Amino acid sequence: MDCLEFRRIAGADPQHVRGGAREHAADCAGCAQHLQRLRAFDERILAALCVPVPAARGPRVATTASGLDRRRWMALAASIVGGVLVGSLLWVGSPRSSLARDLVEHMGHEPHSLTSSAPADGTTLESVLERAGIRLRPGLGTVSYANSCEFRGHTVPHLVVQTERGPVTVMVLRHESAGAPVRFDEQGFSGSIVPAGPGSIAVIGGAGTDLEQVTAEVLAAVTWL
Amino acid sequence: MNAPFAGKDGEAAFASLCDALRPDLFRFAFWLARDRGVAEDVVQEALLRAWRSRESLADAAAAKPWLLTIIRREHARLFERRRHETVPLDELVADGSPELAADDTDQETLDLRRAIFALEADHREPLVMQVLMGLSTQEIADQLGLTQAAVLSRLFRARQKLRAALGVPAGGEAD
Repeated sequence: MDCLEFRRIAGADPQHVRGGAREHAADCAGCAQHLQRLRAFDERILAALCVPVPAARGPRVATTASGLDRRRWMALAASIVGGVLVGSLLWVGSPRSSLARDLVEHMGHEPHSLTSSAPADGTTLESVLERAGIRLRPGLGTVSYANSCEFRGHTVPHLVVQTERGPVTVMVLRHESAGAPVRFDEQGFSGSIVPAGPGSIAVIGGAGTDLEQVTAEVLAAVTWL
Repeated sequence: MNAPFAGKDGEAAFASLCDALRPDLFRFAFWLARDRGVAEDVVQEALLRAWRSRESLADAAAAKPWLLTIIRREHARLFERRRHETVPLDELVADGSPELAADDTDQETLDLRRAIFALEADHREPLVMQVLMGLSTQEIADQLGLTQAAVLSRLFRARQKLRAALGVPAGGEAD
């Protein structure tokens, strides 16, 4: 692959440069630098795309252009509130699960994962995500740790993301299904396990960390391949 | 997995998913319509339809592309209706729309936002799908009914146009 071909490929999808293109970047300093610039520009594009989002609308009487009426909206709102309520009950009332214990114990095996806030090596992160069959949208926060870990008989991505609420550990559990969101407090950590893709995602922070927003952001950022 | 969003647990899971995805679904609809009011209507109607059809979704991992498909259909419906009823598109998307400067965004981001706003839909939509929604080029091709090669070409051109609009040195060709 020559530089021109590499730049055509990277210019269309700079976050997922694979195979021959990746090998080319490893051998060509100019193209590696070019790729970094493309990725930095993508971060700017993402920031620009993230326009402010209005608060969710509640039920309303006024019809939209599509002719929604109050009754339909009430039905939808009731359904959603019901769903959230079920989720909330499970969130608060769930007993300690063995999965939660295993997650926190696993974190204990890798205490170094929380010691640095510097960005993890990009190539390592890419490899961890690729192995897990997921993509992580840029903009979630700085990923300061990325490792492919053995967990309950499977290789899973173990990430640490620096957020406004402090570092949180994210483990993407393709093989662990969760019927509903579960919250846990275990050994000084607070965590949540939420259904996602074919399995679930665990988000774990320090004791008392408000994880609701972070968990929503993680859910929205992970794409399953 | 069969009907992951069926039953009470499924309702809760689907509500959580919609809650998490709603901001990006709104943003996607906004960049599709280039109008906040239209985007809100599109997302509301799309989530209503999705809620009613959630039990038909057999694969939870496909939820995001599925929701995007519904958003795109709703947008097409609404756009078609409003095109005949209201203002011309050129007026709706006039450069410098206050919608882009409605927050305390820095100038650099605002300039880029305007440049994205001005991109043709053929370039803007796949770019938003890729960068904002995290779709693969194959998924974008499926959504748009294009070949993957055509999608790659549009994505390349979209970034090239944005760089040109902002005066960023060209990066598509060898230096």
